[in-house]
This record gives sequence, structure tokens and C-alpha cells, in this order.
Amino acid sequence: MSSIITVSGLHKHFSVPKRRAGLWGTLKALARPEMTVVRAVDGISFTIQPGELVGYLGPNGAGKSTTLKMLTGLLVPSEGEVWVNGQVPWRERERYVASIGAVFGQRTTLWWDLPVVESLELLQHIYDIPAARFRDNLAQFRALLDMDSFLDTPVRSLSLGQRMRADLCAALLHDPVLLFLDEPTIGLDVVAKERIRQFIQHVNSEHGTTVLLTTHDLSDVEKLCNRVMIIDQGRLLFGGGLPHLMERFGGNRELVVDFAEEYPAVDVEGAAVVARDGLRVTYQFARQEITASALIGRLSARYRIQDLAVREPEIEATIRRIYEEKLLESP
Amino acid sequence: MAKHLRLYLRLIGVQLRGQLQYRTAFLMDALATAVLTMVGFGSLAMIFQRFENLGGWSLGEVAFLFGMVEFSFGTMDMLFSGFDPQHFGQQVRRGSLDQLLLRPLPITLQVLGSKFVLRRVGRIVQGALILLLGILASDVGWSVGKLLYLPIVLMSLVSFFGGLFVLGATLTFWTVESVEVTNIFTYGGSEMMSYPMHIYDEWIRRFFTFVIPAIFLNYYPALYFLDKPDPFDLPPSTSFLAPLVGFGTLVLALKVWDVGLRHYQSTGS
Amino acid sequence: MRLFWELSKLSFARQLNYRAATLAGLVTNLFFGLLRAAVLEALYGSREEVVGISLQAAITYTGVTQALIAFTMIFGWYEVMDSVYSGEVASDLLKPMNYFTFWLARDVGRAVATFLLRGLTIMAAYALIFPIIVPQGAEQWLALVVALILALLVSFAWRFLVNLAAFWTPNALGIGRFAFILSWFLSGFLMPLRFFPDWFQAICSLTPFPQVVNTVVEVYLGLLTGADLLRALGVQLLWAIGLILASQLVLRAGVRRLVILGG
Repeated sequence: MSSIITVSGLHKHFSVPKRRAGLWGTLKALARPEMTVVRAVDGISFTIQPGELVGYLGPNGAGKSTTLKMLTGLLVPSEGEVWVNGQVPWRERERYVASIGAVFGQRTTLWWDLPVVESLELLQHIYDIPAARFRDNLAQFRALLDMDSFLDTPVRSLSLGQRMRADLCAALLHDPVLLFLDEPTIGLDVVAKERIRQFIQHVNSEHGTTVLLTTHDLSDVEKLCNRVMIIDQGRLLFGGGLPHLMERFGGNRELVVDFAEEYPAVDVEGAAVVARDGLRVTYQFARQEITASALIGRLSARYRIQDLAVREPEIEATIRRIYEEKLLESP
Repeated sequence: MAKHLRLYLRLIGVQLRGQLQYRTAFLMDALATAVLTMVGFGSLAMIFQRFENLGGWSLGEVAFLFGMVEFSFGTMDMLFSGFDPQHFGQQVRRGSLDQLLLRPLPITLQVLGSKFVLRRVGRIVQGALILLLGILASDVGWSVGKLLYLPIVLMSLVSFFGGLFVLGATLTFWTVESVEVTNIFTYGGSEMMSYPMHIYDEWIRRFFTFVIPAIFLNYYPALYFLDKPDPFDLPPSTSFLAPLVGFGTLVLALKVWDVGLRHYQSTGS
Repeated sequence: MRLFWELSKLSFARQLNYRAATLAGLVTNLFFGLLRAAVLEALYGSREEVVGISLQAAITYTGVTQALIAFTMIFGWYEVMDSVYSGEVASDLLKPMNYFTFWLARDVGRAVATFLLRGLTIMAAYALIFPIIVPQGAEQWLALVVALILALLVSFAWRFLVNLAAFWTPNALGIGRFAFILSWFLSGFLMPLRFFPDWFQAICSLTPFPQVVNTVVEVYLGLLTGADLLRALGVQLLWAIGLILASQLVLRAGVRRLVILGG
């Protein structure tokens, strides 16, 4: 058994009391609540190998966070098995959480009124990190995350991006073999997102830390993950590489060409003109029929071209299509 | 164990430094807390000359009981702030409890270390002063036994009140609306325990004997210290049940707390 | 006046929505009422009357004071502070209405709702448990209504004044806590003021606080009649006018300060 995470037949069902209107309804609901069962996670199985960086994708309420909570031991499943790093997360909680790192994007694990560095020192004691290793790790992370400017600032005065960097650092000081991230880039600007992605990549490739992250942001997945799992309504819809996903469901690509001079007709076989604006023409073509380079070859043989760009179909649109059209069945 | 104690002290230390950052606010809060206690007892003391006694107890004797309860409740309120149902309920809703569950430390220790309200010192000091006043004014016939038993009773009261807080916090795993009702048992209970229990209607007294065994922690020990006869004719050893009941309540509450935590981990809400 | 009415109605309706909180508040008020009644009963012992107050009146007193808690917000009120600190104050000051009147309108709605939901309910519960005293005759009822209205005005003006501290200092919460403990202590909420030594009663009478609780209680219990009653209501009225004027003056200074600071 070489996988670091093995999940099989995982279910989590919640009983939610039905709300009733009015004072009388409230009283009745108190006395004899009627329950609705919500299947937040409804039979999920997957494995993750050591060193993988996997994206866990899905719309709001798809069951992403519930899965993550079960993997981190916060929740006990209704049914199914979870083995992470040879342990069952919700048994022997203290031993288990010492071996993982987790950041839940919206919340901080740091002490609100303390300067960042003091929070980190407190964590050193909580995780029993040897002094030398703590020093090394902190030195390394503060450089990578560019934390020097706010190391002495109380957490409450940090910007969201700074706080996320501090939290990432906090989650990794004890050298966990696994890192769970729930929406690590939510609410951040482009620069901050990029920095965090680079850091996650670094931790994954240099330290060999296995990373599982949930996200809304498809560029996270695009730039980071070698594998993606898509979940909707508690079920896995897809598991595999991103190129594979785009190949199967990506639809048409586009080529945008800026011609050097005006041509009366700019048709080319294998592609269709979908937009024309002065010298700029946009073609659409299917990846199964023609490659981008062949198409460019045909065009440049015929016209003088100033500039061009290939536009991949947006992952976002693709994934939305998968949710909406239920293109996939659970594996 | 020693490691846990050290960590607890560290966590508390962090709280203290945070609170002392805002010195003016801290002093004002501490003073307000102190004044609140003093005002309650002060009015009773001021009107006492018109009445001479309260259910047969002199002002000094009432002060003894009142001070004992105030001192213990204040101490508990400082140590167990993390379990304060109101505060804890908020933590659960905000997901802060999850953050604690992600750390490799016993959860009880972390909740205890998550909040430490130093300004309760005001109430503790006032309680101690009133207790002292009671001791001076009601001439307790001190014996070795009484000297040894007083700190034990105070610790038992702290544990007992702590147990009530833990139970209240546990209830918030099921319903946040429980908080206000819980307040009746904690704040209301301590207020009630500040006066001799025989002045209450029988049903109230029964409730605080059999359902919430408060009477063994304040009234019976006080009877022993003040050498007063027991109007309910229980055996004299009843006065020495305080540690059993006090620590027992806390232990039992922590067991229920474990059940609540398991419930939380199966519902996540 | 229309705006006043609308604001009152809105805050009245909002108050009716806090069902769980109302119920919990009721239970708490009642519990503490029983507790205080027991203490007074124990103090009375076999006495029938102390300084003109019978045991029955003393017990009724605990009920009336518990019923007044929500009505006059005896334990404190920090809403104006909150709105100053949150910045809401800026848009509220632009409303075509005096800032004091704006809050008064809302407080009246709130007070009427809590009077019905909590005040009357507590008195009804008391009537079931104890043989309480009930005001007699149209004259006393009328006096009670007047005293209640004036008590609300005095209490509101005082609470508003305390809240205005937020215009000057970021620590207004601490000031408020003190101010409200003080008013609580001197209002006759803890024990009827007549029980206290004369010097203490003298101190109290220099403050507006007895107007919020003690006067209402004395009118309710029929301890004041004829000229005494009229004088008591007159004093209440004077305090109300004085405090309203004071809060207008302080408000004007506060707004000026806010405008200067705001640029």
C-alpha cells in the first residue's frame, strides 16, 4: 500500500431539522423535530500518492469542505474508510494532527493579539519542534514568503494576504508530510495569489510534501496541480490530469490573428471565423481536427501576419459545463 | 503532564500580555467588575440596620457566605473563561474550535488556555474583602480543622462553578439558544448561593439540593464555620461533602463535555 | 412627527421578533425576582412593616423593579456608541431629524414592546405567585402612566448622554459601564431607597437616577398621595427637561467635534 491517502466509500450525511414558520411551528419543531437528511458526501473513493499535488474542485456546497474536514479528523464519517499516512484521522486525534498541516482559508490558527513571530514561537512549543529545526524552517519560510515586513505585527492588523502567508508558514513549521488547504487563495489579489502558489509548489517539490487543496479558483488548479478531482453534490465526477480533462471536455480553441494589412477574405480550411474587428480576426478550431501550428502554417503561407495568440478554452467554462450538463458519471 | 502545564501557562501568558497592552481599558474594566460586586453587598449592608438579621443570620455571617461565593465564582470566571457558554458558543459558530482540534494538544487544555480574563481580579479581590469582613465580624471559632477546610471549600466551589460552565459550554454543541437559560444556573445560581439557603421556598431549595447540589458547597460548609445549627437536621458530616460534590461536578461535567465533543465531531455544527 | 411614529413602529416590530431572547429574558428576570423576594422576606422576618413599607409592598417592589429592567434598560445601553464606532453615525446625522429625536423614536418603540412583552408578563407572573399590591383608582393609575413615561424620558436622556462620550473618546464603553452601574446603584433598584440611611437617600436625590426606578415604584405602591405625588411627578418632569436640554447641548458640541475631526 503505497498511497498516502486512501479513501473508500466515504459518506457523510447530516440530519437537519426542518424549519417551520411561526411561533407554533418553532415550538412544534422543538418538541418533535422533523429531520431532512443532507448527503453532503455521498460515496467517494480515491487515493493519493506521496508527493502529489491534487486539486479538489467543486461548486459551493458540493462537499469539498466536508471531505476535507473528514480527512483532517474534524468530522467523523457516517460510512466508509479513510486512511491517511497509516492512520485513521479521527482516532488518536492528537497523534494524527501532529503529522499534518492544514489551513482553512477563512480562519486563522494564529493568536489575534500577538505579533506573528510570537504566534509561531508558541506553535513551536505546541508541536514540540526542536529549536534548531524551528530556526531553520522559520528562516527558510520567512524568506520564501517574504514575511520580514510583518513578522512583528499583531495578527489582527495583517492584510488578508499577509495573514495567509503567516498561516501557511504556521502550518508547515513542524514539517508535516501532508498539507491540506481549503481555499488558500480566496479573496487575494493577483500578486498575492501568485506568491502563494509559488510557495505551495516549492513546498511540494522541495520538501516532497503531499498537498491536497480545495479551490474555486481554476488558475490555482491550472498552475499548481498535476491532478484534479471534481466533486458535485457529494459525488466525484472526474479524477485525472488537467490536460486530460481539457482534451475530453474542453470544446474548441481559438486563434486570434492581427494581420499586417487588410484582406478582403481571410478564410482558411479547418477553422471558422467567429469575429472580425479591423485587422484582428478570431478563428475557432477543434483540437481533434487540426493543431494550432498547422493552422498557423496555413495562414502565414497566405497572409502577412503581425501577431497572433492561441486561446485555450477557459477551464472555468469547461468545468461549469461539466456541472451543468452532468457530462461525467462517477467513476 | 508537566509539559501540558507549561504549555497551559504559556497560553495564559499570551492572554495576559494581550490584555495588559490596553492598560487603561483593563484598569477600568477591573474596577467596574469590582464596583459591581461591592454595590450589591453594599446596599445589603446599608439597609441591614433597619432589619438586624437576614433569616436569623447577622450581617457578618451573611458576609462570610457572600464573600466565599463571590471569591470562588470570580476565580472560576477567570480560570474557566474559555468555557464561558456565551463565549464558547461564539467560538463554535465561528469555527475557532476546529482550529483547536487541529493542534496536537488535549482540547480541554486548549479551551482553558484560549481565554483568561484578568479583569475578574476585581471581583476576586472584592469577594476576598467581603469574606475577610465576614470572618472578622462573625467571630468564627477558629480551629485547625476550619483553617484547613476553608481553602478546600473555596477550591471545591471553584470546581463546582467550573463544572457548571463546562456543562453550559457543552450544551451549545446542540443549541446556541441554550446560553441564556444556562446563565440562570451560573450567574443566577451563584447569586442565589450568596445568601443562606433556608430563606428560599422549599422547591427552589430542593432543586439546588438534588438537581444542582449547590447547597453542599456554600450553606453546609458555612454552617460548620459559623457554628450554626442545621435547620434541616442532616448529619453534621454533610458540611464536609463540599470537596466530593465540587470536584465530582467538575469531573462529571468533563465526561459530558466529551460526549458533546463527539457529537460535534459527528455533526460539525 | 410622522417620521417619529414610523421609526417607533419599526423598532416596536423588530422587538417583537426577538422571541427566544424575550422568553429567556423573562425567565431570567423572574428568577432573580423570586430570589430578591426571598431575601426581603428573610430580612422582614416577623416584622409587618418597615419604614412604612409592608412585606407585601416589598415583594411587589421586587416585581415592579424586575419589570422595569427591560423597559428602561437599567443594565445599560450602548447603541449610539456602537453606531459612532461603526461610522453609521454619519448617515444618521444627515437624516432630516434631530439625532436625539431619531434615537428617542426608536427607544420609544422598543420600550413599548418590552413593556408589553416583559413588563406586563412579569407582573402577571408575580400576581400568580404572590398576593401583590395593585394600584387603586383612576387617579393612581393615571399617575403611574405619567410616572412611567417620565421615567422612560429621564432614563433615555441619561443613556443618550452617556453614549455621547463616544464622540470624544475611544474608551466610552468603559465609561458607560461605570455610569450604568452608578445609576443602577443609586436608582433604588437594589433595595427601596426608603430602607437606606438618610445621608445615602440625600445623595441619591441629587441625581436623576431615583426618577427612573424609585419614583415609579413609590407611585405604584401608593406610597405617595396628594401633594407628595404631584411634587414627585414634578421633580421627575424637571429632571426629564433638564437632561434633554443637557443632551442637546452636549450633542451639538459632539457633532461639532466630529465634523472638525472628519475634515
